[in-house]
Amino acid sequence: MQLSGKVALVTGGRQGIGAAIVERFVQEGATVITCGRGERPADMAVNIDWVQTDVSCSKQVAELKNWILSNYGSLDILVNNAGVQIEKTIVDTTDDDWEMLMGANARGIFNTIRSLLPMMSMGGSIINMGSVSGVNADPGLALYNASKAFVHGLTRSVAVDHGPKVRCNAICPGWIMTAMADSAFAVAKDEVAAKKDALARHPIGRFGVPSDIANMALWLASEESRFVTGQMFTVDGGLTAASPLNPGLF
Amino acid sequence: MVEKQFTGHLKGRVAVVTGGCGGIGQAICSRFHSEGAHVIAADIASLPASLKGLVRYFKHDVTSEQSAQDLMTFVGQEFGQLDVLVNAAGIEIEKTIEETTLDEWQRIFAINVTGTFLTSKYGVPLMRKNGAGSIINFGSYDGFIADPGLAAYCATKGAVHALTKAMACDYGKENIRVNAICPGYVATPMLESFFGDSGDIESLKQEVRDIHPLRRYGTPDDMANLVNWLAGDEARYASGALWVLDGGLSAQVQQMRL
Repeated sequence: MQLSGKVALVTGGRQGIGAAIVERFVQEGATVITCGRGERPADMAVNIDWVQTDVSCSKQVAELKNWILSNYGSLDILVNNAGVQIEKTIVDTTDDDWEMLMGANARGIFNTIRSLLPMMSMGGSIINMGSVSGVNADPGLALYNASKAFVHGLTRSVAVDHGPKVRCNAICPGWIMTAMADSAFAVAKDEVAAKKDALARHPIGRFGVPSDIANMALWLASEESRFVTGQMFTVDGGLTAASPLNPGLF
Repeated sequence: MVEKQFTGHLKGRVAVVTGGCGGIGQAICSRFHSEGAHVIAADIASLPASLKGLVRYFKHDVTSEQSAQDLMTFVGQEFGQLDVLVNAAGIEIEKTIEETTLDEWQRIFAINVTGTFLTSKYGVPLMRKNGAGSIINFGSYDGFIADPGLAAYCATKGAVHALTKAMACDYGKENIRVNAICPGYVATPMLESFFGDSGDIESLKQEVRDIHPLRRYGTPDDMANLVNWLAGDEARYASGALWVLDGGLSAQVQQMRL
């Protein structure tokens, strides 16, 4: 039980990677609070706290902070997982798209860290969800790529400005089988061929699953990583270690 | 395409180009000549017709310490100075580590890494005498991310990248700048050999081309343009850097064929 006695907030814990992190943290003995824009999911275990929150809204994040303060008094672990993806080039992106995507992916982590960091315990851990797309571009995901580069930059700043009170790191997932990845394959000309091709580009020989990311989140939340801060950790099955060209596939 | 304007910005400079008779090396020699430099093509291969009369030739085995010493003695005697050194000599071995013999491993390191070390080691004193210099090494985008079946090559290019930074640190105070260019896919005999093992070469070439954001391979002239800039005074504050020149290839995450 690596997290017993710890209080953790995981944003966006309804589904996908967030849900896997919530589940793992609970298994490891943490008290876990999670949040999302909607109502509490019907199938969510009773020992998990759900506080309906839109992280892009600073007022709602302040209410979330007050809720945690009055219920637990402090916070040890903050996982900024909530995020959205819009499959557009910059030319096609609207002002509303900007508000929605940058609101969740950029302003969201700005809001939560600004609001919650002061109440975090000494030696706390902040874990942000970056992306391999924040380092190299995925086509047709202009704002998403940029928002993840923002996450990487803010991760370093928080680590530098607020150590040793907190450590702050980011995880850069590659292709993790979630609804977000499904929607990318759904636009493929030939979905089966696209998946086969994509698979061949992973040295590990499979796509990621949410628990792969939860494993890294747990390590970054735990005392095992006590000397680790300000870094990006790529968990992508080897995808980005290989060239975008992979002549062996042709 | 606009006719290239040569400004003569290397007028009177003395430049050694190892591998100067190879695909990219020839383009560098020719560009340096056009910019007014005295060029020495140092290569184990013989001088191609295209460079005859434009450059001096020195038969140079980059793996030999004696050859490096002789080359720089020759440059000192004939020109009295060295301003620019381009370490462009290199080979590629298309194998995984299991397929690579120890001899092959040692040979590619001897040419790509030891060659850069030795030619630089004996070139630096001539540059020091001159009060300034620019060394341009050949890294590769494969020094950052791997192509399959090129293990030893990738490793040598990673070594060149680190050596470039180390040399830049050691000699910056003497106004000797050291940079590396990191080409992607450049249309050269080396690339032809890389494609040579594949089945349907034309469709493969097209596929590979289309993955590049600029939708073409690099040309030796594209490489020479950057080497030329790094060689000259416009680049006076550039040192210790790895200059990726790959048509945008490595700006991308692997391209799923959606």
